[in-house]
Amino acid sequence: MFTAVLAGEVVKLRRTTAPWVTLGCLMAGPLFLALFMWIIRDPGRAAQFGLLGTKASLSGIEATWASYAAFLTLIVGMGGTLLLAFVAAYVFGREYSEGTAKVMLTLPVPRPEFVIAKLVVAALWWLAIVLVVFAEAVAVAVWLGLPGITTGAIASLLGNLLLVAGISYLLAPVIALVTVWTRGYLAPVGFALGMLLLGNVVGHTGWAPWFPWSIVPILVGSVSTPVDTLPVGSLVVVAATFVAGIAGTMWCLQATDNTQ
Amino acid sequence: MTTDAVVTTRGLTKRFGRVTAVDDLDLEVRRGEIYAFLGRNGAGKTTTIRMILGLIRPLAGEVRVFGEPVRSGRPEWLRRVGCLVETATAYPNLTVRENLELHRRLTGAPARAVANVIEQLGLGDAAERRAGQLSLGNKQRLGLARALVHAPDLLVLDEPANGLDPAGIVEIRGLLRSLADDHGTTVFVSSHILVEVAHLADRIGIVHEGRLVEELDRAALVAAARAFSAAQLTEQQRADALLTLELERYFLARTDGSVR
Repeated sequence: MFTAVLAGEVVKLRRTTAPWVTLGCLMAGPLFLALFMWIIRDPGRAAQFGLLGTKASLSGIEATWASYAAFLTLIVGMGGTLLLAFVAAYVFGREYSEGTAKVMLTLPVPRPEFVIAKLVVAALWWLAIVLVVFAEAVAVAVWLGLPGITTGAIASLLGNLLLVAGISYLLAPVIALVTVWTRGYLAPVGFALGMLLLGNVVGHTGWAPWFPWSIVPILVGSVSTPVDTLPVGSLVVVAATFVAGIAGTMWCLQATDNTQ
Repeated sequence: MTTDAVVTTRGLTKRFGRVTAVDDLDLEVRRGEIYAFLGRNGAGKTTTIRMILGLIRPLAGEVRVFGEPVRSGRPEWLRRVGCLVETATAYPNLTVRENLELHRRLTGAPARAVANVIEQLGLGDAAERRAGQLSLGNKQRLGLARALVHAPDLLVLDEPANGLDPAGIVEIRGLLRSLADDHGTTVFVSSHILVEVAHLADRIGIVHEGRLVEELDRAALVAAARAFSAAQLTEQQRADALLTLELERYFLARTDGSVR
């Protein structure tokens, strides 16, 4: 039965524009990075591009693969967390915005199966975005001829992106919970934005490794120098957040009234 | 509770804040009958239907369907139930056929079931159109088709005539009558339209402010109506009633040719 539920969740995305919009959003990241690097490689261009050129010069970006990979990881970690929140909110929230939750909940399918299937769809969607953005980023870097590109460096970028994307994903079930609880898109996206900001604030304190939304920022270096390995405690925190998010979403779908 | 009871509620109560939507409701729907739940807007019809389907939890009392208590965690009984709750909704990006196919797979109905209900509900011309582009009447037909696709033993329909034109109402009435008479399907239907209920139901429960205030048998109702008609109606009232019937006959003949 779960296979049919999962296939159904994939079918529900047919002809929707959301996957393409989210892909387009994150694909803009490497292009902006490439534009900045192209500008700062030639001081004359920076002057030519006015304010944009000044921003590029002051951004601290160097036209090297190492800098490019670090900023790309930052974009996937921070922007991606917000984008992933939208993905999770969309997969769960459209059942309420389109009025189909009552249809879904009167099917002879255990409700936890819908939660798992939707989270799998969100994971596949997110993985596809990250892999396409990775491929795009490598192609752009090769086209720019950035110094320092090696097979090992490319593999290292892929590993870092998958690690950051994976840890970001572990926070997605909490977004699903907020979506199911509030039955809409606005609250979960607002919640994700708030947590992202709070994570950056907490990231500057000693509590950073213990606050789920600070762990990606400390990993990608948005609050300090990027760390190579996360403390075990941080991994336990994000894993517990993941489990709690799933359990909460299942409980909410099971035990609360659907008066839609 | 009689042995052929398909739906039974005992002391069913639901409150939303200070508003009592359903108040100590006892009712029984028997196998193969069409039971109409008649009441004004806000009488508690939809809330009762939602509790029967496990969409909301009663504050007190219990619901049994096919003799088993309704528990949202064990949805196997929903395989025998088809439903339409309030306005018909569907995945707007999917076609009529895709929506029905999705439902068919999740209810385990045979492959030919989709073509059958498309034919049965007169949705042939709209089958490849997206649900989001359908007229209100066709959306309602799609909702009914989905309720029927897995050939349920119990149909729970909340205001099924919503959005249907007069010919469509007569057609759906005929379909429900034939399901009950020829296939033994039990139909629990809510409505606030007296004429609709009078034409369709074997038994009628009148609900007011969440309480079942009267239960009527169709045969007794027909006999009473005849006696009332003979004794009380003026010639003018009889003429008005005949005029309405004649208008309905003309309308059906000119707009559809025949009642399907």
